[in-house]
Amino acid sequence: MSGNSVVKISEVKKTYFMGKVEVRALQGINLNVERGEFVSIMGPSGCGKSTLMHIVGCLDRPSSGHVLLDEVDVDELNDNALAEIRNKKVGFVFQTFNLLPKLNAMENVELPLIYAGIGLEERRKKAAELLEIVGLKDRMFHKPSELSGGQSQRVAVARSLANDPSILLADEPTGNLDSKSGDEIIHLFTELNQRGITMIIVTHDQEIASHSKRIVRLKDGLVVSDDLVR
Amino acid sequence: MINLLEPFKLALQSLLSNKLRSILTTLGVIIGVAAVITLVSMGEGAKSYILNQIGSWGVGANSLTINPGTGDASVPEMTLTYEDTIALRQKVRNLQYLMPEFVGRGRLAYGRKSYNPGFTLGVSADYPFAYKQKAAEGRFFSQAEEVGRKRVVVIGKTISRNLFGEFSPIGENIKINGIGFTVIGVLEEKGTMLTYDMDDMALIPSTLSELVLGTKKIWEMFITVENENQVPQAIEDVKKVLIARHRKEDFHIHTQQGMIDIINNILNALTGIISAIAAISLLVGGIGIMNIMLVAVTERTREIGIRKAIGAKRRDIFLQFVMESIVITMSGALIGILLGTLSAWGIMATLKLSAVIAWGAAGLACLVAFLVGTFFGVYPAMRASRLDPVEALRFEV
Repeated sequence: MSGNSVVKISEVKKTYFMGKVEVRALQGINLNVERGEFVSIMGPSGCGKSTLMHIVGCLDRPSSGHVLLDEVDVDELNDNALAEIRNKKVGFVFQTFNLLPKLNAMENVELPLIYAGIGLEERRKKAAELLEIVGLKDRMFHKPSELSGGQSQRVAVARSLANDPSILLADEPTGNLDSKSGDEIIHLFTELNQRGITMIIVTHDQEIASHSKRIVRLKDGLVVSDDLVR
Repeated sequence: MINLLEPFKLALQSLLSNKLRSILTTLGVIIGVAAVITLVSMGEGAKSYILNQIGSWGVGANSLTINPGTGDASVPEMTLTYEDTIALRQKVRNLQYLMPEFVGRGRLAYGRKSYNPGFTLGVSADYPFAYKQKAAEGRFFSQAEEVGRKRVVVIGKTISRNLFGEFSPIGENIKINGIGFTVIGVLEEKGTMLTYDMDDMALIPSTLSELVLGTKKIWEMFITVENENQVPQAIEDVKKVLIARHRKEDFHIHTQQGMIDIINNILNALTGIISAIAAISLLVGGIGIMNIMLVAVTERTREIGIRKAIGAKRRDIFLQFVMESIVITMSGALIGILLGTLSAWGIMATLKLSAVIAWGAAGLACLVAFLVGTFFGVYPAMRASRLDPVEALRFEV
């Protein structure tokens, strides 16, 4: 169809077991995200949003169906190759920030660069640049415990951008933030999207979703609507 | 190429952030290594002390000692005589010095004073050269005096002090077991060796042994040749001469190397036992490390999930945890080596001896610690590396 597709998933199903209970999280999802898009995924809890994010982000594999990420057929890849994709092509931002508490902001941002095999000097330079972009120039050597929630999430955003990913995935990025910090993060996302970074964010907040360009709604593991905003 | 620097830094960071636990974990390794290093250092120190003592007693690599009897009986059969020494002097090639020792008790009397020294020995005129102990005052007797059965005596400092106080004994007449002698020399001081006072002895010509000490039999004979390569040939010659004279091998020969071998054997056996104990300690320590590493993997499940989510490969996680285990055991080994060496120095210092740094044992300890760390670290690290990222991220402590 187009060489501009960053994410292309077709007929993706995911079934897993919680104890003995079979959970059919995704029941045949089709989704195509083009370069430069800003997509919100919405839906009630348990509709499969997070599972879909994990599959798009190569943290998890679908039970069936196909995933193409930046033209790479992910189905075929082994664990190591998936790790490399997560490292280089995907940036993740989590609801709970998921920073390593013993490392300072700079070191947290450096982590993906370490796993990409980049030398110390270049790492430091890149991490400092990214922290400046997210507005934490003067907090570089603070540990997560010395940062507010909004600041922590901005460190996480800087970390997700470390290896210039093709796509940034955010799973309820404002879920643990007060509304002011949440607004700041969304503002940051909008800004990043304007710089050309493709984004998918999972949210259940209509207000936040309204900042994106396209809203995909899920229910019971299926896409129920897919609309452009405004 | 695998970069080991980053995993090493990570390991160091996480161990330092949990200092007490790290130290407790590595205690087994520290104790095991310290015990081995202490004993080996002390053993090496004792060995070099003994070798030094042997050296200072004049026993060099170019020497051999002939003892009477076959060496089996606890009380040796006295089979060597003065005549044997004459034969040996003639027949042993490259012979340098020959020193028989006739051992007896002598009662020394000077005027109204009398004294019983530790030893009174009948020796040859080679004594000062063979044992590298000259007369500090006066002179030693000559071969002519020995063969001529001159009644001259050389005494040690302890005897001199006891009989003559601060005065010079040279030229004085004393009686040994009632027989008149002239003191012609005082020996250099040797101090004590293994609690024996080496200055508490009187030396008379070997030819007077029977008359004064009542013995015709040699307790021990000491021979030196010009250089150590001639020792095997000298042993052959000695055997040939003595067997021809005695018609049987009723004597045995020791060399310096033989003595060193014996000392080494004892020390090696000791080291072996200690190493076995240390091995048990390291094994137990290793199991403790494995246990702690498994706990650490569980505790840090979320960290592992985060690392995987941002691109850590299985290998990265595996190396991180194995490296932690190796750093724990290696630092344990290093601390153990330090403590062991210090305690060895401490103990040896109180015994007025000096310890030797046991480099070999230290190197071995590091190697073993490395292997223990690797072996017991692999399983927990494998568990960590195989965690599913999604589940790991969901994990709540």
